[in-house]
Amino acid sequence: MPPDSAEFAHTGISRRQWLSAMGVAGVTAAAGCADEGDPTDDDDAVPAGDQGAQLDLSRDPPPVEGTYHAVQGSSFDTINPLYNTESGAGTAIGYALDQGYTFDGENEVFPLLLETIEDVAGDGSEWRIQFRENLEFSDPYGAYTADDYVYLIQEVHQSDWANTANATDWQGVEVEATGELEVHARLADPNIIWPETFDPLEYPIPKDLLEPYVAEEDAAGLREHEELLDLSFAGNLGPYTLEEWIRDGGTRYVRNDEYYLREVGERNDDRSLFGNAPYFEDATIQILDEEAQRVQALAQGETDNVTLPPDRAQEFIEDEEIMVILEPTPFNTILSVNMRDNGWTHGPGNLFTVTAFRQAIAAAINKEEFIEGILRGFAEPHFTWQPEFSEWFPEDLELTRWGDPNDGVYGPEAARQLAEEALDQIDEDYSYDGDVLVGPEGNQVELTVLYNAASETQELAADFIAREFENNLGIELDAEPIDGTTFSENYWQAEPEPGSSTEIDGEEVVWEEPAPQNPGPRSVTSDNEWDLATIFGLNTYPRNPITNQVFFDGPNSQYNPVGYYPEFDAAGALQGMRNAETRDELTEAAEELFAGLNEEQPYIMLAFGDDIEGYQPDIRGPFENFSSGFDFAGWHRDDR
Amino acid sequence: MGLLRYILARTAWAVAVTFIIVTITFLLIALAPDPNISQAATQAALQGGDPTEAAQREAEMRGLDQPLHIRYIDFLQGVYTLEWGWSDNRAQPVTEALLEGIYYTAQYSIPWTILTIIIGPIVGLYSAANMYSWKDHLATGFAFAGWAIPNFFFALILVLIFSVWLNLFPLSYDPSAPVFSLQNVHQLVLPVFVLVTGSIGAIMRVSRNESAEFQNAAFMKTAKAKGVSPLRAYALHVMRPTLVPLSTTLVGQILVIFLGSSLLVEIVFGIPGLGRITFDALINQDTNLILGATLLFTFIAVMGNLVEDIVFTILDPRISYDDR
Amino acid sequence: MTGNDESIGADDVRATSGSARRFDEIDWDDYEEPGLFSVTPSLKITLLAGLPIVLLGLYDEFVVGDREATFVRLGSDLGLSGPFETLGVDFDPGSLDFLFMFTIVLFIAYVGYPLYRNGRMTRYYWREFKRNRPAVISLVWLGLIFVGGVLGPFLIAMPEQDLAAAYQPPVFASIDLVHTTGCVGEIRDGRCYGTWEHPLGTSRGGQDVFASVVHGMTVTMQIAFITTTIVAIIGITFGTVSAYLGGWADEIMMRFTDIVLSFPTFVFFLLILYIYGAGLGMFILVFAAFGWGATARYVRSKALSISEEEFIKAIRISGASTPTIVRRHVIPNTASSIITQLTLIVPGFLLAEAQLAFLGIGDTAVPTWGQLISAGRTSIDFAPWIVLAPGFTLFLTILAFNFLGDAILDAINPEAEAETDR
Repeated sequence: MPPDSAEFAHTGISRRQWLSAMGVAGVTAAAGCADEGDPTDDDDAVPAGDQGAQLDLSRDPPPVEGTYHAVQGSSFDTINPLYNTESGAGTAIGYALDQGYTFDGENEVFPLLLETIEDVAGDGSEWRIQFRENLEFSDPYGAYTADDYVYLIQEVHQSDWANTANATDWQGVEVEATGELEVHARLADPNIIWPETFDPLEYPIPKDLLEPYVAEEDAAGLREHEELLDLSFAGNLGPYTLEEWIRDGGTRYVRNDEYYLREVGERNDDRSLFGNAPYFEDATIQILDEEAQRVQALAQGETDNVTLPPDRAQEFIEDEEIMVILEPTPFNTILSVNMRDNGWTHGPGNLFTVTAFRQAIAAAINKEEFIEGILRGFAEPHFTWQPEFSEWFPEDLELTRWGDPNDGVYGPEAARQLAEEALDQIDEDYSYDGDVLVGPEGNQVELTVLYNAASETQELAADFIAREFENNLGIELDAEPIDGTTFSENYWQAEPEPGSSTEIDGEEVVWEEPAPQNPGPRSVTSDNEWDLATIFGLNTYPRNPITNQVFFDGPNSQYNPVGYYPEFDAAGALQGMRNAETRDELTEAAEELFAGLNEEQPYIMLAFGDDIEGYQPDIRGPFENFSSGFDFAGWHRDDR
Repeated sequence: MGLLRYILARTAWAVAVTFIIVTITFLLIALAPDPNISQAATQAALQGGDPTEAAQREAEMRGLDQPLHIRYIDFLQGVYTLEWGWSDNRAQPVTEALLEGIYYTAQYSIPWTILTIIIGPIVGLYSAANMYSWKDHLATGFAFAGWAIPNFFFALILVLIFSVWLNLFPLSYDPSAPVFSLQNVHQLVLPVFVLVTGSIGAIMRVSRNESAEFQNAAFMKTAKAKGVSPLRAYALHVMRPTLVPLSTTLVGQILVIFLGSSLLVEIVFGIPGLGRITFDALINQDTNLILGATLLFTFIAVMGNLVEDIVFTILDPRISYDDR
Repeated sequence: MTGNDESIGADDVRATSGSARRFDEIDWDDYEEPGLFSVTPSLKITLLAGLPIVLLGLYDEFVVGDREATFVRLGSDLGLSGPFETLGVDFDPGSLDFLFMFTIVLFIAYVGYPLYRNGRMTRYYWREFKRNRPAVISLVWLGLIFVGGVLGPFLIAMPEQDLAAAYQPPVFASIDLVHTTGCVGEIRDGRCYGTWEHPLGTSRGGQDVFASVVHGMTVTMQIAFITTTIVAIIGITFGTVSAYLGGWADEIMMRFTDIVLSFPTFVFFLLILYIYGAGLGMFILVFAAFGWGATARYVRSKALSISEEEFIKAIRISGASTPTIVRRHVIPNTASSIITQLTLIVPGFLLAEAQLAFLGIGDTAVPTWGQLISAGRTSIDFAPWIVLAPGFTLFLTILAFNFLGDAILDAINPEAEAETDR
């Protein structure tokens, strides 16, 4: 299911949760929800959503009325804040429990539970976090203080027994309560955009609640704790109070009339909107499995918000009765090519390892037609590892526009030329015979592209890619469906071989602690051979681009299932980003990385999808931005 | 062999069958790769943690680090003590999850069963009484059509017509509606209708054929010759003997439908019942919940068969239990 | 069933039982020589027609490469590439296709041929059968599906993706242009009208729905024939052997059947297919593995009850051994009821496949009706034909099997017949 980015920003889901929403989408979506469309808006081309405007935070509080009713496609595994890894459940928790901060429409930190978060040293190594004064848990837990925050981190996240969702956020971070409401954090790896990593975000959990489990080191008990599953400790810490969680059915809330943000609204004129927040009497998230029913529920006014599939967007954009908000997302649609030794199943050699050949593939797939035909125009072409709305998108660079038929590199000639270039770089005897690429045995090269059996969008995409391969590269491509889990287990991942090494460009590269997602050099392969796959899309981390090091920090980076060996100094660029002491330095280093990735196409980049959110037109709050929903507590209904 | 001994032996056998089936389920699941573990590893890799350790911890958390036989023994102990474990997919104990599912499933399956039991035999008798007339064809056609139309397809069409186009029924099921409320009745009309039309076909067919058989029986002819009114003759002489095989078929049929097709109806109508719980558990490989659900289903099926057999044996003296 | 002529006393019926007996006798001919390896005509047909298929299947399995078309390879191996190419013989059947062909041969040998040989009997049955009009229509419908399934793929190409022709409406229907990516037919008032090019419209990917339905027929017929054959073989063997052996062996075999019958089948379908992959072959295997229990039980009870009949008792008194009785009298006498029973279990398999496909557990590489319904349900509110076309085809097919089964049941049930004559 498409992650609900509106609520993403609002709940401040950590990047890990984003990833799980994404990487796992291919897996969990396998059977239940068929169509995880990855739509996007195209600002120069056809579709444009309805306006929707960012709320004026300094206006007078609107009246409180009615119910806010949202519909989601998939249910939650758990709403235990310590163990949740799903975006949908993150939304459900977020209605009842705020986190420290989020980001507003200008990508600035928008404080919630926190008063401030400051870079004390100026180089990103030491941070001071100041909490608000009026934060209260329900009885008997008392006030939420720095002590609760630090206890959760030190005794739970940093323990070796709890295995909480956020555990890895706190590796190498020293936290200390320096006052009743003040926390000091010291980072082993300085990061000037630490807040953007979402790492400092924690749900408020009372220390007294945790203590018995910490004493027993009882992870199961913590996971099954009743109050963590009904959020009854939430006090005034969230806009709504959870009434009931019906598994498979959804959640119901009532207005929390002691919401702490009200006081903030009363005291600050530029936040006066929150003076009486929130503005719905109750709120509901309902789970509806059937896509057609979700769409109809919106059309008939039974619900206020539904994420629309791309082929339903246009009709609602034209429909006056429904407001459609197009929210860009950082999740990409890519074609993965297997550069490991079990890739290129046609015969000897592996052309995927040759950069020019990956460029040829990128040049062979018409992004415009891909976006128009499959994503119905609700997507933007994807040229380098960053969406255009990102602060770090290399605007000053001349990126090569692969697959752009208008002002880029596309078509049979361009693709063929690049492919011929690649043929010169390998020892094996591949050549073009007329329009057909033939292998050493003299027959046409035939490869297979795997797609997620549960996704109709992917099926269309795979067929389309197959046609483009045939027409522009002279390669016959079979599109084969596969179950997401099977692919992940037996194709994408492999048994790691610690200590394995290989020589790349005269340098010895060692895989010290390899993971299944990068088990070793190209010679270490998964159980099953595969050529190309559309199964997974990945996050491009537009707020904290340094995190892209998991993909590109040299051949032995943490996540490199395809066996990509960067030919430019990717590791150096990332080192530059980590060492940056100003945003300008970071931008500069990031440009180097994104320029290199644009050229090398480690994954063949196709498109960035947007969420297409349909709302009832009298809902005020949603707007066309990745951050839409950051001010959810101020959302309200207005018939004018 | 006496009747009591027969019943005892059958019951013991029923328990054994349940045990065997659940064991097979356990092995099937245990031998399949668990996607949750590699998910944990992937997440760890993506955020810079140690994937191997994360996978280990996840396995530990799910109790998968133990050898197979220990897990199996644990599982068996759990079965007897009714501690069926924790459902990771729903964050609640398995027993609670199943009870919740039954709560929603019962709301439509009880009216459905009652309606089926009432309508099915009536249509069947009516059909038999008018055998090969247009009335019979109509009734048979109707019952067959209802039986043959795939439930989920029929449900989709009904939702399309009555909820989407005509807007007569709600599009989505509201699980928080009180059981005895107009709202609940309203939202259950379509699912119950789909299921009843789906199940009367089988019942109708059995009662039609059975009663056709008895209609020609000598006692029926005698009754007619004696001038007993047709209705009375039917009620006394056809309906009664028909009920014996019918009631047993009924149990079997209802169970099959109850366990199978209700899942799809639940999915189409968005009812968070037993079928969907089981399905979601399977998709997410929520081992405890799958095992719990399988145990429950098998138990119902085996007990159903058992009751069917025993009732049959008691009701129909022609069958000797020695023979079975 | 043959014993109570006197109680009915209608000419027609006497003829019935008479010919039924004759049918039985003739059927016994197939088993006339009780030698273990006696060659009956049916067996001859099976061997003659089935052997080439089996050989071709093995050839396909072991010689032909993964990505080669069987007949293209066969052509080159036999030095017949030229003629093959001219004739356009480039089929690439899979192992299921071979199995399908083999089961058709079996069907011809063991159902079609005996019917042909017993012409009089067949004509009688046909007369009886014809009176049941819905059943005749059903037979015609199933015939259409069968022919469509066997020949359709050769005449109609696999539906191709056409992104510029998504959601085309069927002929005489129209759709708001906002839903389509282009319009093949006429555009009027912002609506796209259907054309004969896509008589049943197209799906989201622009695939022709009619072509998909036709290709679905093949799969439907494969499931029906192959699964039923496997179930029949296991069920009949198990049932008769159990009845034949009796005693402890019978007890054990029936208890085993109990276990098979007690499986929550649907849960197990889900479990196995979800965890271990859901190819069409796996489907058929799983269906068959869980589907034979009822048949076995039925066959056993039929076999036992037939052996209680007076005429069997008479044969027994005349000194025939139990095995002979079972083989020569019991099985032939149950044949018709077994066929009926099998007809009635086919819809269950078709339904199960569609249900699983609807749940997203299916072989998406194979265009089944269930897949099409499943794919079309997201757009059911504005493009209902994608669901309706395969849905109604499936519905009618299941209905037809039921009517057919019921008609056969009626035709061989003298009591029900007597009813008509009243």
